[in-house]
Amino acid sequence: MIYVSTWLGKIIQLSMSWLKSGGQALPGLIIERFQPSYLAKMLHKLPEGVVVITGTNGKTTTSKMIVELLTAEGKKVLSNPTGSNLTRGIVSGLLAHASWSSKLDYDIAVLELDEAFAIKFIARVKPEWVVALNVSRDQLDRFGEVDKVARLVGTTMKAASRGVITNANDPHLSTIGQAIADNQIKVSYFGVSPALRQYFPNDKELVSVDDPLASQPTKTKIPSALVELTNFQHQNVTYKINNQTYSTNLKLNGQHNYQNAAAALALVIELLPATDPAVHVDNLAKVSVAFGRGESFKLPDGTNLQLVLVKNPASFRQALASYLFDNPAIMIAINDNYADSRDVSWLWDVDFSTLSNTHVSLTSGSRAADMALRLSYDDIKVNVVENDLNKALNKLAEMRGDKIIFATYTAMLQYYAILNKRAGVNP
Amino acid sequence: MKQLHILHLYPNEMNTYGDRGNLLTLKRRAEWHGFQPIIHYYHVGGELPERVDIVLGGGGQDSAQGDIQTDILRIGDQLRTLAEDGTVMLMVCGCYQLFGKRFVTVDKQDIKGIGIFDIETFGGEKRLIGNIKIKTDGFGALFGFENHSGRTYLGQGQLELGSVERGNGNNGEDKTEGARTYNVFGTYMHGPVLPNNPVLADNLIKLAAEKRYGEFTAGKLDDSLAVLARRGAYRRSY
Repeated sequence: MIYVSTWLGKIIQLSMSWLKSGGQALPGLIIERFQPSYLAKMLHKLPEGVVVITGTNGKTTTSKMIVELLTAEGKKVLSNPTGSNLTRGIVSGLLAHASWSSKLDYDIAVLELDEAFAIKFIARVKPEWVVALNVSRDQLDRFGEVDKVARLVGTTMKAASRGVITNANDPHLSTIGQAIADNQIKVSYFGVSPALRQYFPNDKELVSVDDPLASQPTKTKIPSALVELTNFQHQNVTYKINNQTYSTNLKLNGQHNYQNAAAALALVIELLPATDPAVHVDNLAKVSVAFGRGESFKLPDGTNLQLVLVKNPASFRQALASYLFDNPAIMIAINDNYADSRDVSWLWDVDFSTLSNTHVSLTSGSRAADMALRLSYDDIKVNVVENDLNKALNKLAEMRGDKIIFATYTAMLQYYAILNKRAGVNP
Repeated sequence: MKQLHILHLYPNEMNTYGDRGNLLTLKRRAEWHGFQPIIHYYHVGGELPERVDIVLGGGGQDSAQGDIQTDILRIGDQLRTLAEDGTVMLMVCGCYQLFGKRFVTVDKQDIKGIGIFDIETFGGEKRLIGNIKIKTDGFGALFGFENHSGRTYLGQGQLELGSVERGNGNNGEDKTEGARTYNVFGTYMHGPVLPNNPVLADNLIKLAAEKRYGEFTAGKLDDSLAVLARRGAYRRSY
């Protein structure tokens, strides 16, 4: 049966490429209907199994790091391209990579799955490893509330058969980790040192008021981490792994990515226990940012434009803390499509104090006015409010000096497409 | 300078959907109208401040509602006295429900509220989520975003805040949204509701100022961005 599915799927893919027809997910969709167990059967063939990466923020960049760290050590890694985190997308990927005899010439699969979709996935495929990064208020119009997101991620973590990597500093996740460890599944943690905690607030800390009388959120015991971020100075980072320290200069930027890198290191150390962690840290230095996550473009006039995805209060706060050192001209693009969050209330949970000594050149997107309104309450001036993404980009491009765009998901995709055509991606 | 004392209830638990934006809006607009806003936070087990002009409460996780419920019953009499005395209050979502008579969860758990509003809320399986527009007497059209599993029904004689033009409102059936008793306003509208509806925000400040000082003179405020955002809200899909 599995051979028939592979043949059928590959023939559909071939005929579609002859017809120059798009719709890459279509072959996957058809095979999903034809043989629902195809996904599980194919992935089951991988000798080192399946790794699922989930959580609110950092999935794409962390997956990219893991793939590159494993590849550098000679592993053949199957991964899902960004945005295709539906089973049909993964099946289409499998079809493209499988031989006609249904062989998959890979050692391991590393799959980035959003919190809701991961539940559907684990119902079909039991992963060997799960990396759960963090849980934070995000797209509440879709998920309802943060507790529900935590339950979803917890369910995925519990599906791991060999081990779980999770965040020591996220009380939602470390509590679940404790329960899993009691069940004889290995749980390893990544974290940040106590001195750095202030830079990485968890969901509760993100919105709690600074008031000595406040009932402090219940203190969850912070488990000791296999990999701990102990220092960062620009892109120079230091990790403590088994009481040894390792420093390196990263190509990646953004403090959240230094934390995500700790997660990637922890997983790779568990997967390749015989390799010296120093090797992985060296390999980490070569990893570049994922698309639209702090990526730099060179504009025709020689200036740089950085494109940064912002999705929720946590990611926006991290982005503001990470990318504003060289006083670039700032544009904020907020859309309210389903993939962005239709409810923009979350903008009021973002701490914009890092912008208090500067101004924002433009706001754009369907919620450009809402963004400018939000900033006005912090006395941050916005020069131009322009709903049209293209027009706004043209205005930004005319400005002098380097630029940065903070954009929600669909706005980021549109800007990425334009910039990728128009400008050169910086190495 | 004339002070306005603003009390935020349970800021660490009832703050899920940008509710801080309502506090920020009242604080800044009070300043712009020439007052000195003094912010107080009330936490579980704490005490209400001696002087209060405006009380704010937000929405929370369903799980937080249980912890808060026990505590709010403890201060229920004090809040009721303030309300009967004409103190201005705005309760959004979770706090709106707790200001009602009772909340019956999906698994038939009966949670008592402080009963300032004559409303009853019943947990539903499907959350009511989406943009919402209502029509009010006194504040014009109000825009927001709702996200609640509770269905709220008004008792006989209980005033609504407004009537639903787009979206669900209290229960998705009777076209009512929110409630008003004395100067206490309840609503399901996030967005947050105040920055998107400056007329409502200014009326809360005006009511509070008139009660405290017997008069209110509006400052000159530039609301052009709110006007622009509201123009977008008129065109939005619901």
